[in-house]
Amino acid sequence: MAINYKRELEGASKTMILVHDPNTLIMMIVRMIVQKVRVRHAGILLHDRERDTYILTVSRGIKGVKIPKGFARMDADNALIRFFRERLDKKLFNDGSLIYEEAKKTLKKAKVARKQKEALKGALHQMEIFDVVACIPSYFGDDLLAMLLLGEKKSGRSFGRDEIDFFSALASDVAMAIRNAQLFKELEAELEKKHHLFIHTTVALAAAIDAKDHYTHGHTARVTGISLEIARKLAEKNKESFDEKFLESLHIAGLLHDIGKIGVPEAILNKEGTLNETERKCIEEHPLVGVTILQPIKELESSILGVKYHHERYDGSGYPEKLRGSQIPVIASIISVADAFDAMITDRPYRKGLSKEEAIGEIKRVSGKQFDAQVAEALIELFVEGKI
Amino acid sequence: MPRLLIVDDEVDVREFAANFFRKRKIDCLTASSGEEALGLLEKNRPDLVLLDIKMAGVDGVETLRRIKKLDASLKVIMVTGRKPEEEGSLQKCRELGALAYVHKPLQLDELERIVMKELAADKKKPQK
Repeated sequence: MAINYKRELEGASKTMILVHDPNTLIMMIVRMIVQKVRVRHAGILLHDRERDTYILTVSRGIKGVKIPKGFARMDADNALIRFFRERLDKKLFNDGSLIYEEAKKTLKKAKVARKQKEALKGALHQMEIFDVVACIPSYFGDDLLAMLLLGEKKSGRSFGRDEIDFFSALASDVAMAIRNAQLFKELEAELEKKHHLFIHTTVALAAAIDAKDHYTHGHTARVTGISLEIARKLAEKNKESFDEKFLESLHIAGLLHDIGKIGVPEAILNKEGTLNETERKCIEEHPLVGVTILQPIKELESSILGVKYHHERYDGSGYPEKLRGSQIPVIASIISVADAFDAMITDRPYRKGLSKEEAIGEIKRVSGKQFDAQVAEALIELFVEGKI
Repeated sequence: MPRLLIVDDEVDVREFAANFFRKRKIDCLTASSGEEALGLLEKNRPDLVLLDIKMAGVDGVETLRRIKKLDASLKVIMVTGRKPEEEGSLQKCRELGALAYVHKPLQLDELERIVMKELAADKKKPQK
């Protein structure tokens, strides 16, 4: 029974539009070829750009004849790959495909150059090894992205012109699908790279603050870590539902919460003993200095809330705006508890740090006054569970 | 006719490799596990064994150890993946006396060349 290839192709391309994953698409194509054209086996070699090799990724057909997927590869120096990469297919055969029978005849033609014959011979030898009678390349521009390998038809008949055209059309769809998937992946990688750069830049900024304040080495990293733990704990207890975006903002806010200390003279920052009124005021400016520094970065809008209000107190006795209760953004309440806890357990030249037990006792004591009771409770639970 | 034993727990690989070498006039035996391979060895001594490293149950390394215990002169070629965790196994196989290694995905012509070379080397030796 003759197959209406045009109709099959139309049907196939309608399905293909719905499939975005190239591997699924390729699997569908190979399955269709094996079923509709009734070949003994068929497979697709896909280019692995990292190793510059072509790996048999999809394979179907009769047991023992089909090549197990992932079993075989062709390196860039393989005669068949070279044949297509050097575009000898275009020079020797107009349509780009390599058909074993046809190529054998070409070898006998006097007008074909000896060098080309040698290359063709090598390619045909590879076809024999893979037991295939037709190879259809998938190009994007001149890049060989994939190659469709076809075994003999079960009937033993050779392929007709309409069939080869059908395969070529499928092969160009394969190329397009692979290329799209590659572009998508590259775009994703690019975005991720930018994101990493952003995080690393933030970490570098945070390190600058830590370097200035001698006695709080590692404070920023610890506050960030504890803040994220508290947020997870609150989410787990369903007190709040935090999305990825919130956690990200909290991460950044944790790293940058003391950035305003860059504007505080080191003599004040590292002073041993009590501060006088002027010095205290100077230190208390650091949240607003932080806001001034970060404000030009529009993307940091929600993180800035954490920087600005991490010294506010639940009872309204904090700074800079004396916010109280629910007026204080939750991002700031979290950092506030984490910041206080870490400050308490850290040694200072004029006093030894508290033990964690003592610090937790102190947090308990001022919970609901200095701290949002739910946030403080989350920290206490983390301590009980041994997570901090 | 030279005899090759193919040991792999994937049926597609066994069938394909057996078919591939039968076309090249080689008598092929297949085993789906290390235990089955060891059972076959005693009855039909092959000239060469193609042994997959990563198999469920008794793996390729252990199978190689047992093969060499039974018959130290039997030639074995290991088939491996390219994962770094198999690096340690490769070293062990070397110590145990494996002849060569082919990495999956492999080049079929390379597999053909290595296997045919080992089987041809056997032929040249005088028969006992």
